[in-house]
Amino acid sequence: MDFTPTEHQTLLRETLRKLLERECPAALVRAHVDDPGVHEPLWTHLREYVALGTGPATDCCLALEETGHAAAPGPFLATVGLYTPLTGDETPGTVAIAGSAGEWLPNDEPVKTFVLEADRVERIAVVCPGPAVAVIERPGPERLRPVATVDFSRRVFELDTTGLALEARPLERGAFDRWRARAYASIAAEMVGTARRILGMALDHARHRHQFGVPIGSFQAIQHKLADMSLALERATAAVHYAAMTVDAGHPDLLRAAHAAKAAAGDAARRILKDGIQIHGGIGYTWEHDLHLYLRRATADEYLLGTTGWHLDRLADLLFA
Amino acid sequence: MRLAWGPQDEAFRAELVAFLDEHTPPEARAGADFMGEYSGDEIVPQWLRDWQATLFDHGWMIPGYPPELGGRNCTPVQTLIYLETMAERRVPRSGHFPGYAIVTPSLLEYGDDAQRALAPAAARGDTVWCIGMSEPDAGSDLAGLKTRAELRGDHFVVNGQKVWTSYAQIADKCFCYVRTDPAAPKHKGISVLIIDMDSPGIEVRPLTHITRKADFAEVFFTDVVVPRENLVGPLNGGWAITQGSLAHERAGLWVEGVARFEQTVGALVELARRTGRDRDPVARRRIAAAYELATSLRALGYKGFASYAQGSSAPEHSYMKLATSEAGKAAFELGMELCGAYGAVTDPDRGQEAGRWVTSFFVSFANTIAGGSSEIQRNIVAQRVLGLPRG
Repeated sequence: MDFTPTEHQTLLRETLRKLLERECPAALVRAHVDDPGVHEPLWTHLREYVALGTGPATDCCLALEETGHAAAPGPFLATVGLYTPLTGDETPGTVAIAGSAGEWLPNDEPVKTFVLEADRVERIAVVCPGPAVAVIERPGPERLRPVATVDFSRRVFELDTTGLALEARPLERGAFDRWRARAYASIAAEMVGTARRILGMALDHARHRHQFGVPIGSFQAIQHKLADMSLALERATAAVHYAAMTVDAGHPDLLRAAHAAKAAAGDAARRILKDGIQIHGGIGYTWEHDLHLYLRRATADEYLLGTTGWHLDRLADLLFA
Repeated sequence: MRLAWGPQDEAFRAELVAFLDEHTPPEARAGADFMGEYSGDEIVPQWLRDWQATLFDHGWMIPGYPPELGGRNCTPVQTLIYLETMAERRVPRSGHFPGYAIVTPSLLEYGDDAQRALAPAAARGDTVWCIGMSEPDAGSDLAGLKTRAELRGDHFVVNGQKVWTSYAQIADKCFCYVRTDPAAPKHKGISVLIIDMDSPGIEVRPLTHITRKADFAEVFFTDVVVPRENLVGPLNGGWAITQGSLAHERAGLWVEGVARFEQTVGALVELARRTGRDRDPVARRRIAAAYELATSLRALGYKGFASYAQGSSAPEHSYMKLATSEAGKAAFELGMELCGAYGAVTDPDRGQEAGRWVTSFFVSFANTIAGGSSEIQRNIVAQRVLGLPRG
């Protein structure tokens, strides 16, 4: 197993990091709370990278770590992590699959839940039992109901397909499993990116905040928290890269690796967001501090594409099969 | 980033596998149990001594070294493949790690010509080494060690006590950290001496540990005379050597730690099946969490290896000892829990598991203490990896 990034991968990561630092500062994420339209200039840039959705999962996940780090609003994850890998189509899109229970598996319910960014993509791939996929043009607002979550950086909708003629193309089981493994790895990549942002803020605060005449980061109680947060993050990041490599190789272990990656990312994000705000103390609890923008993203992502517990249960199904 | 290594590296693996298929002794084929302990009373059984010599003679003891040191000049990737293969098959390299894993690289890096000449026998296991580090008042604070070596012309006179000294009962030589300048700041008054264990004035008292085995000891030094030429590296320059030896230990051990943890997780799956707890959703989820931990730790180890092979520092390795030792302990606890009321029973005729989980749990207490406790590991991560200020 060789984790060495290629020159191309290093360049991709650096380019996106710089782009997002410039185009997606915390101020943009904050402005998006009340005005979803502010993401458009950023999307003009990120749109140039949608081909990542048909390329190697490893490249795609490295890019998603950066958009997660910036808590970037817009349909980037929906397109390169979900829609494009499923359809091969590089038009901005999203995927509708979960039913009322919120489980991201094929079902025959007409109302699809947790459809990401549905009002600002051009197409929606509806996954039907089989599994099979029907691609529709984005419908009007009468079929899309926004669902508020704690995260202001990501928009979530219910899509009502009642009465729509869905021309579904059957999907081979192996291809579907490979797609969902890639989708789990993709959101997990964004989650470790967001968690890295929060850990960075906590570290910065621990170095600069003085109490009792010394930086609070010199206290062992704070150091041990940060060491454990950092371990959780490094572990989850490695699990995401491994999952992406198994997808690229079509390895038989790919679903196990993807469930492990989403669960590891969920654990890391939860630990880091809780201890991250604890280390910040009172200032992190304020609306004007930027920390909550990232805490919100990290909190909500754990519930998308399967919770940590759901992924562990599916992993157990495979271990005890 | 890709799963497979190159064709040359896979050929290396095939050659190793062929060698192991042909030469692995039957005692090693039986495999250690999942804690890596072999049964029997001998501290190092004769078959294991012979096996280490066989590995050395065929260039499979420390493959990254040249043939005269028991290797074949292989690349870092191939060394990793070697460690991975040995760990997967649970084949031991040696029954006494200090000589090949710590003393050999330290002698090669810091020793003079005569001392470097001791390295092949250390790596082959012909000479058994122990390492005199910890003392009753110097555990995590190793630099606080007090064993005194006074230079008197052409020799040192050593007085003091070491503790937790693995293999001291059978060792030929001790790689011993001593205080040579009591007036200097504590890190700057330490030296390393090679001490023959049959020197007059050495007393070894076996120290029975928590599971009633005695493979380490206390070592007492009373007016032990050590020739000046047995000083390794500069006088009062021993602290750099402690840092070096621990680095050798950490760089290679994660593969084995992770493989052992994966084997424990595999045993948990089997245990749950035997006890019917595979139908218990709580048990299933906890076992899956252990599997997730194993997967992510292996990935983290490889990721660290990739940075290391590229020449950058590899912070990932600092996490591995902390993570694998804590993970192992928790997995044994889960095993005991799956045994239900029989969790603490060790009677071989009562309970299906004959106490292997609870015994392993007790053995695993050492793993979060020895070789740098979990608390010290967290300090290292916080200060050296994350760059936080010292308290």
